[in-house]
Amino acid sequence: MKQALYLLLVFGLVPIQTTVLTYAGLGGVRPDLCLVAAILVGFFAGELDGLLLGLVLGFVQDLFSAGELGLNLVAKGSAGFLAGMAGRYVTNTTPITVLTTVFGLSLLSGTVFLLTVGAGGLAGVSFAIWSVLLPQALWDATLGGAGYWLVARHFRREQAILEGPTGWDR
Amino acid sequence: MSRSTSGTRRVTLVLVALLLSALLVFPTQSQGLLRHIGVPLAPIVTLPIEALAALDRSLRDVWEGYIALHGVHEENLRLRREVELLRDQNSRLREATSASQRLTALLEFKGRAASKTIAAQVIGRDATNWYRAVMVNKGEGDGVRVEMGVITPAGVVGRVVKTSASASMVLLVTDPNNAITGLIQRTRDEGIVEGTARGLARMKYIPLLSTVRAGDRVITSGLTGGFPRGLPIGVITSIDKTEGDLFQSGEIVPDTDLTRLEEVLIITAPRGEAESDADALSAQPPQQRKP
Repeated sequence: MKQALYLLLVFGLVPIQTTVLTYAGLGGVRPDLCLVAAILVGFFAGELDGLLLGLVLGFVQDLFSAGELGLNLVAKGSAGFLAGMAGRYVTNTTPITVLTTVFGLSLLSGTVFLLTVGAGGLAGVSFAIWSVLLPQALWDATLGGAGYWLVARHFRREQAILEGPTGWDR
Repeated sequence: MSRSTSGTRRVTLVLVALLLSALLVFPTQSQGLLRHIGVPLAPIVTLPIEALAALDRSLRDVWEGYIALHGVHEENLRLRREVELLRDQNSRLREATSASQRLTALLEFKGRAASKTIAAQVIGRDATNWYRAVMVNKGEGDGVRVEMGVITPAGVVGRVVKTSASASMVLLVTDPNNAITGLIQRTRDEGIVEGTARGLARMKYIPLLSTVRAGDRVITSGLTGGFPRGLPIGVITSIDKTEGDLFQSGEIVPDTDLTRLEEVLIITAPRGEAESDADALSAQPPQQRKP
């Protein structure tokens, strides 16, 4: 089941990101589905799953991006790993915790891109911070928080069914 | 059992750490390795991208054909007036073309007209927000190679920066990482056209003594890259001339509307001698050309 979900993410997210998601852009900026997925998997399944899925998702994203191969691979792999570490040490994970973590990791990943890609001088960097980096981090955080809330709710419901009607009272 | 899982985890982490270190230490070699790994993977991911792009096109056709017809009457009237204007312009241009053809034959400047191109459909955008690039449905299997120029009947679009068997990434002329040699049509001054962060282009290294001004047209110089000489790039809208600088620069608005790209032509041989899809496309009205 888990492997099937990972395969679906690997072969489904980038096609959605490059086609359908262009309509969801605010000011031309779209959320980074691969980053959000790597972070959520890191949170739920641990740092190793987050790291490996992040690496594969980043690599597929690299294949369909104009940049050098390897940049997304490293960024998404690191994000998945760090999210897994955060999930391990945060005792009470809530959608707000995830939202904040995704925001921070998206900013970090975006900064790496900003330094590597070259935005056309100092004025270009300042413009890119306000027009790409921050909007994308907000998009990612919102999507990450919502995704976490949905998945956590699904897990709670499954747990309630397994534990029976008195499950919550124990 | 738990110890073995923990061992596997540790080994995997060490392997991944080694892989990442190799990426940083040997960037060129790792690019080659990653490219090899990507060869079988890219066509598999291209399939759902093409399917989604086809679905997107059909939905857009339905939208444009039925739902978005509101206000068509006003547009029709405006377009009729525009057609009248263009007819007049067309007649004058025919005269100019005929004169130009005679002169071209006289001077044996046949290079540009003989460019060999293949038509491609835009099926997606860059997978990140950091590059202004589009994905087209033609790749190495169709003869597309890195550094080939990409155009529409309206003008330059960009150049191919990455290819797979059945798709290619085209870096748009408005991306800051793109550079094309340009020529100011009126003054004949050359410079480098680069993208800007704001989604326009800028012509750099224009000589200080140049009489360039807003409204001047910029075309490809044909000196480097995959473009023949004379393809329209855009119009200069403002000049930046700072005291003490060795050169001046000018901001350019591209002739092609890069936000609404659907079909493009990839120049496979800038100075080849073959019939191409360009002939078929140039016979159609240049819908993407700005009035």
